[in-house]
Amino acid sequence: MGVRIPIGTVRIVLAVIAAVIVVVLIFIVGAVAHSNEPIATANPAQMKVQQTAVERDVERAYEQSAQQITKVRALNLAISAAQADQIATKAITDLRTLRHSAFQSLGQITGMAAAEAEAYSTTTETRFDQAPVSRQTASPSPVLLAPRFYAVVSRMSELATLIADQATTQLTAPPPSASPVPSVAPSPTARPSASPSPTRP
Amino acid sequence: MTLVRVLVAAGAIALGALLGAAVDPQSLPFVGTERISAVFLLDGQAYFGHLEDTPFSGTIVLRDVYYINDASKVTTDLPVGLLKRGNELHQPVDVMYIRRDKVLAIERVTPGSPIGLAIAAQRSLDRTAK
Repeated sequence: MGVRIPIGTVRIVLAVIAAVIVVVLIFIVGAVAHSNEPIATANPAQMKVQQTAVERDVERAYEQSAQQITKVRALNLAISAAQADQIATKAITDLRTLRHSAFQSLGQITGMAAAEAEAYSTTTETRFDQAPVSRQTASPSPVLLAPRFYAVVSRMSELATLIADQATTQLTAPPPSASPVPSVAPSPTARPSASPSPTRP
Repeated sequence: MTLVRVLVAAGAIALGALLGAAVDPQSLPFVGTERISAVFLLDGQAYFGHLEDTPFSGTIVLRDVYYINDASKVTTDLPVGLLKRGNELHQPVDVMYIRRDKVLAIERVTPGSPIGLAIAAQRSLDRTAK
C-alpha cells in the first residue's frame, strides 16, 4: 500500500529543487569567476620607471633638507662657528644615513637580498652625489607612485624635514647666557639683536 | 502549451540580452583584462577598486580599494599620492560598502593611466613580497 503523491506536488518539488540547483550554480560560477578575475601587474619596464621616480624623490628630499641646513649655516649665527659646524655636520651625516636607509628599503621592496640592497644603495648614492637631482636640467614626466613606493618617499620626506628643522632650531638658538638673573636697572636704549633672525625656506 | 513555450523562450532571450549587456567581454575571467573602477562620491573623495554593483541594492561594493592622498609636503613628482585602504587605524578589511545615494559618478580606470600603472606596480610589489 503506497502513498499517492499528486503529480502537481511532484512538479512543484522538482521545480524547487531545480531552482535551488540553479542558485547554487550561480554562486559557484560567481565564486570561480571572482577568484579568477584578471589582475594586472606591472612589467619590468614600468617597475623601472617607478623605481627611478622613487630614487629621484628620495634624493630630492635629501637635497632639499641638506640645502636648508647649508643655507642656515651660512648665516651669521649667535652660536660659535665650531658649534654651528658640529650641528650642521651631524645633521648632514644623519641625512646621508637616512638616504642610505631609504635606498636600502627601496632595494629590499623590489626583491633584492640584503647584501644586494646595500650595494644598490651605495651605488645610487654615489650616482646622485656626482649628479644631484637639483642640477639636472631635464625634467622627467611625473610618476604616480605605487603605495609601497610612496610610503618610502613619504617617510624619507618626513624624517629629512624633521632633521633639517631640528638643525635649524639648534643653529639659530640664542647663545647660552651667563646668568639668567634680570638686570636691576633697565637699559634706557634698546639694543639690536646680536644675530639676525634667519628666514626658513 | 505552445504559448507557454513561446513565453519561456522569450523570457530566456530577454534574460540573455539583459545579462549580455551587463557583461564586459574585456573583463571576463581567464581571458579579459582587469577592470578597475573609480567611484567619485558627493563629498569629493574618490576610491578606486573592483566594483560590485548589485541591482536593487542600496549599496555598491568596492574591493581592493585605493584612494588619493594629499602629498604636497612629500617630495614626489605629483602633489598627490596613492594609498591602499587597509592601513588606517581601524585597519578595515578589503571591502567597502558605499551608499548608492552618495555616489556622484562611476568611471572605468584605463590600465595605462597613472592610477592604473601605480596599482599594477603595487600588485607586482605584493607578488615580490610573497
